[in-house]
Amino acid sequence: MSRKPENNNGKDEVKILAFLCNWCSYAGADLAGVSRLQYPPNVVDIRVMCSGTISPYHVLKAFQMGIDGVLIAGCHIGDCHYIKGNYMTYKRFQVIRDVLEFIGIGEDRLRLEWVSAAEGEKFAEVIREFTGQVEQAGASPLRTRWEENPANRERIRKAFKPLLP
Amino acid sequence: MAIKDRARDIIGKEVDGVLAFRPEGGSHVPHLFNADDIDQMAGEYPAGERYPVSSIVRRLQAARPGVRLAVVVRGCDERALIELEKQGQVDMEHLVLLGLACDGELAGTCGCAQPYPSEVVQGEKVEGGLDLGMVEKLEGLPPGERLDYWLSRFAACVKCFGCRNVCPLCYCKECALDEPGLVDHGEQPPLLPVFHLIRAVDMAGRCVDCGLCEEACPIGIPLRTLYRKVGEVVESHFEYRPGRSPDKKSPLSVLGTEEDVT
Repeated sequence: MSRKPENNNGKDEVKILAFLCNWCSYAGADLAGVSRLQYPPNVVDIRVMCSGTISPYHVLKAFQMGIDGVLIAGCHIGDCHYIKGNYMTYKRFQVIRDVLEFIGIGEDRLRLEWVSAAEGEKFAEVIREFTGQVEQAGASPLRTRWEENPANRERIRKAFKPLLP
Repeated sequence: MAIKDRARDIIGKEVDGVLAFRPEGGSHVPHLFNADDIDQMAGEYPAGERYPVSSIVRRLQAARPGVRLAVVVRGCDERALIELEKQGQVDMEHLVLLGLACDGELAGTCGCAQPYPSEVVQGEKVEGGLDLGMVEKLEGLPPGERLDYWLSRFAACVKCFGCRNVCPLCYCKECALDEPGLVDHGEQPPLLPVFHLIRAVDMAGRCVDCGLCEEACPIGIPLRTLYRKVGEVVESHFEYRPGRSPDKKSPLSVLGTEEDVT
């Protein structure tokens, strides 16, 4: 069953999903870890081979499941291990961000950052900043809605059963 | 010259068949005419009867590669064919377009940017203008109300897949909407808003604003408003208008160059 959110001044903790590319950003996150840099623990990461493999569907699905913010991180433009993979990331990001804003979920819940393997400090800073930004925006309106309606919540749990603890 | 006369002239010579409309039961249905039954072809095209003819062309050409066809197209059908050709789905070399301009009434209610094809055979050209009224109205609302608006519209969805099935640009053999990991099977309404947003992001760089999805929707979900916004997003970031930028491929279908992303 769901874990109890820790007490955070009475507020629910925000949940952030981070898609990290294998070659740069995941290594950057690793560097932040081994350098013992402090950053908020609200982030769950998913390692992907290239940020260009992240389909808009994955981002939409994350929001459907009640995630409050999605971070996409990849190599800097020109440094992609697959030469042009992150060009596609950037183009897709622009479209998804604007669609989320138009629908009313809010563009500040989605962020794209280029983090290289050497930028552990930048990774920690991005997580700190983005967590602050999502906390400012509060719990995702989709999550609030299905938490108000237990039947809906059950449905989402059932639909995504293989993925939940 | 009327489309019917033009079709009579070219059938059996320039083309093997003409995809046009046949009167049936008080309305018109798409029909592939040959030299023998060309006289039964309808001469008038009522505004309320539109079909995804580009999808029919795609299927006919897939079944008979190299077949020479003529097809009656409105502005939206031509845009769809142009977009399909860029994605390798139709062969414009073997296609003769018989252009039909939409009348003022249809052009007004439909609100597309170009209610006529590049070459008009029948009908009077009426200048259109992309109707973004609803998009702007929604953008004026606070985000919470926008979400309320969309969720309440989407909640009526009966999951008939009509919007996908009628869409000229939906030609994928495997569709994300059939994917159980994204859309739970056998549940209705579908999970909201992911079901409709999947289609919305897929329409980026594709949607030619034909409006057949909204016409097909039995509930009247304002899908066109959503896809028009997506079209506007694509145009503002990439200066690309599906079906109206013939020299360029959709920015979301090619990786492109470094200039595109800096």
